[in-house]
This record gives sequence, C-alpha cells and structure tokens, in this order.
Amino acid sequence: MNRLEKASVGAVALMLLAGAAIFFYAPTDFLQGPVQRIFYLHVSSAIAAYGCFAVVLLGGAIFLRTENYAADRWARAGALVGVVFTTVTLVMGMLWAKKVWGAFWVWDARLTSTLVLWIIYAGYLLVRRLSEPGRQAARLAAVVGIFGFVDVPVVHFSVTWWVTHHPGPVIINDALPAQMLATFLFTMFCTIVLAAVMITIRYRIETLMDMKQLIAGPVHVVITREPGGVAGPVQ
Amino acid sequence: MNPFRAAIAVARKDLVSEWRTREMVPALAQFVVLALLIGNFGFQIDSRNAPSIAPGILWLALVFAGLIAFGRTFAAEREQSSLEAMLMTPASPVAIFAGKAIAASVLLILCEVVMLPALSLFFGTPFSGDLVIAVLLATIGMASLGCLFAAIVARVRARELLLPLLTLPLWIPFIVAGGQAVQSAMGLPGSYDQAIGLLIDFDILFVVLTSLAARFVLDE
Repeated sequence: MNRLEKASVGAVALMLLAGAAIFFYAPTDFLQGPVQRIFYLHVSSAIAAYGCFAVVLLGGAIFLRTENYAADRWARAGALVGVVFTTVTLVMGMLWAKKVWGAFWVWDARLTSTLVLWIIYAGYLLVRRLSEPGRQAARLAAVVGIFGFVDVPVVHFSVTWWVTHHPGPVIINDALPAQMLATFLFTMFCTIVLAAVMITIRYRIETLMDMKQLIAGPVHVVITREPGGVAGPVQ
Repeated sequence: MNPFRAAIAVARKDLVSEWRTREMVPALAQFVVLALLIGNFGFQIDSRNAPSIAPGILWLALVFAGLIAFGRTFAAEREQSSLEAMLMTPASPVAIFAGKAIAASVLLILCEVVMLPALSLFFGTPFSGDLVIAVLLATIGMASLGCLFAAIVARVRARELLLPLLTLPLWIPFIVAGGQAVQSAMGLPGSYDQAIGLLIDFDILFVVLTSLAARFVLDE
C-alpha cells in the first residue's frame, strides 16, 4: 500500500467511527427526535466545503502571483472536492428541512448563499472543462474562484434581512449538551480529514493528467516561461 | 498614458462603432419589449397585482438583456483579433477593461430608457426617480462584473453557455438589493434607503475588485 492508499483507509475508518458516534453515542434530540442526527454530518461537511474553497482561493491567488502550476492543481482539486461536500450539505439539509420545517427548500439566507456557492464552483469546474488547459485557463479559473469566494458572504449578507429560518450558531452559545458537542467535534475532525485526503488524491490525479498532457498533448498548451510550473519545452 | 483618457477612448470607439452599425441597441430594445409581452401573457396582470409582478419582470428582462449586451462586448475584438493589438498599445489593461465596461453599460442604460417607460405604460406601475436611481445603481455593478466575465469567457469554447452560468450567481446581490429597492419604489413594503445603501456598497466593492482582476484577465 502506498501512502495515499493508507491515508484513504484511515479516512474511511475515521468516518465509520464518526458514524458510530452519531448513531450510538450521541443522545436523541428531545424535540426533533432521531432526524436531528443529520446535524453532525450536515454542519461538518459545510465546514469542510468552506475549507476546500479556501484552498481554491489560496491556490488561485498564489497561481496569479507566482504562476506555480502546483498551486493551480491544488485549486482544481479543492474545487472538485468542495462541490462534492456542498452537495452533501445541501442534500442532507433538504432532508432535514422537510422533516422539521415541512418543506425541502425555503429561501433563507444560508440556503440561498449555499446554493450560490454550489453554482459558482460548479461553474468553476465547467470553465476548466471548456477552456483549453494551460496558463490562460488557470488564470481565468483563479479569477472565478476568487470572485466566488467573495460573493458568498455578500449574498449571505444581502439576504439576511429577509426572514431567516435557519438556526444560528448553536455551538458557540453553549446550546449543545456535552455528548452532542463531543460527537459533533469528532465528526467535524473526521470530515475535514476525509476532505484533506480526497483533495490530496485529486491533486495526484491532476498532476498525472498534466504530465500526460505534457507528453501526449499539443505542445503549446503547457509552455511556460516561469520556473516552478510543469515547465514544458520552450519553442 | 493617462488611463482615464485611454478608457474614454476605448469607450468612444465602441460607442462610435455601435452608432455606425446600430445593431445592439435596437435588438436590445426589441428584446425587452418582447420580455414584457411574455410577462404579460405568463401572468394574469391587473391593476391590483401589477406592482408585485412588475419588479420581477423588470429584473428578468434586465438580467437577460445584460447577458446579451455583455456577451457581445468582446465580439468585435474576437472576430477581428483586435484585442491583442489594443493590449500592445501603452494603454493599461485596466483602462481598456474600464472603457469596455463603460460602453457596455451605456448600451444597457439605453435599453433601460426603453424598458422603464414601457413597463409603466404596459403594467400601469408608477414611474419615479427612485425607480430610475435603483436600476442605474444596479447597472454599474452588473456592468463591471458582466464585462469581466465576458472577457474571461471570450477565450473559452462554448462562451454563450458559460457567461450566464458564471455571471448570474455573481449578480444575485444586485438583484436582491435592486429588487428590494424597485419593489419599495413601486409602493410595496420594504426600506428603500437601506436597499439603495446596499447597492452603493456592492457597486464600490465590485468595481474595485473587477478593476484589480482585469489585469489578470486581459493581460497576455
């Protein structure tokens, strides 16, 4: 087993442990019943998704400054994994909302901004797919990633004066019993580890794909004059 | 080279070329009138519900007219490969971008000149200075973002597909605040001043951000 395989096995084992904690260790919520157990993974994957998009932001910003293609590959990996975790957040949130609010969707600030987040980074992935790989695509995608990151708090803020259904931060103001808090923190830790492992695997895949392009693809797409990139042959 | 004069020169070039061909403005004007027509048939509009439906039709028409306008911003440059030539001049990319954005927003404003009176005419909603100010403020921010993303997708395959996908989510803040402002200008409840304040904030934020980003998008 190589290191990535070991890391994947570890991440999956941690997630199984978190599942056990969610279902067997955490107490059942008095008001909402078992459906409240969605909370642990729902909030954890939202936090993991924000982390992934922070990787996209950082990778994009570093690429724009230094033209380091490794940074761009980290950004690509972060966007893909972030979209996966945002999807998980949205789907679990909708299931929970159906049970507790009676509707799959309400136009609340947090739901709206999460949906916008999903759309922006899905668009980011589309930009990557539709543009010729290379310096130009990386620069354009970096700009999209940076604007996406800025737009989400703005959308959130602009919708907040509407009625909000979404519960506020329950962790900060001590509303969680100790066992629930412990389960939540553990699930969050496991989810972040899982996200980190997934990003690393994706980074490896992106690296291999870039190398393949370098060997087989049209030469002009990978030519870079700057050091630090997957430097191609100079014409 | 003075960046302001460069920006004005680029804007002037685009507007003169529009004046000579007269392609975009009539097409956009016809598009918004058609959008109002569709709104009329899609809803059962009478004098009582018009103020609650008209703002929605206004934003739908404006957003899609904007996508058409900004999608064409770099069309001439692409078809004649003149963007490279423009970038080789001493004018900074930011000035070129600003000029393009100014020209595109002038075209969109001309289309609003048709749309806002037509909206009042067809749906009987009040036409006021408040309404005009709200739409104009939203246009500034939408134009800066729209132009930036038009420049981004100009070099991408399937640009007609991508421009709406990238631009619409980023326009949402303007539609939220602008929608609120237009609704209260048409007599629905809601704070007009708060919405206008937000619009101004968003304008400043996105004009600054897009100017910073323009260098990376146009520079080559």
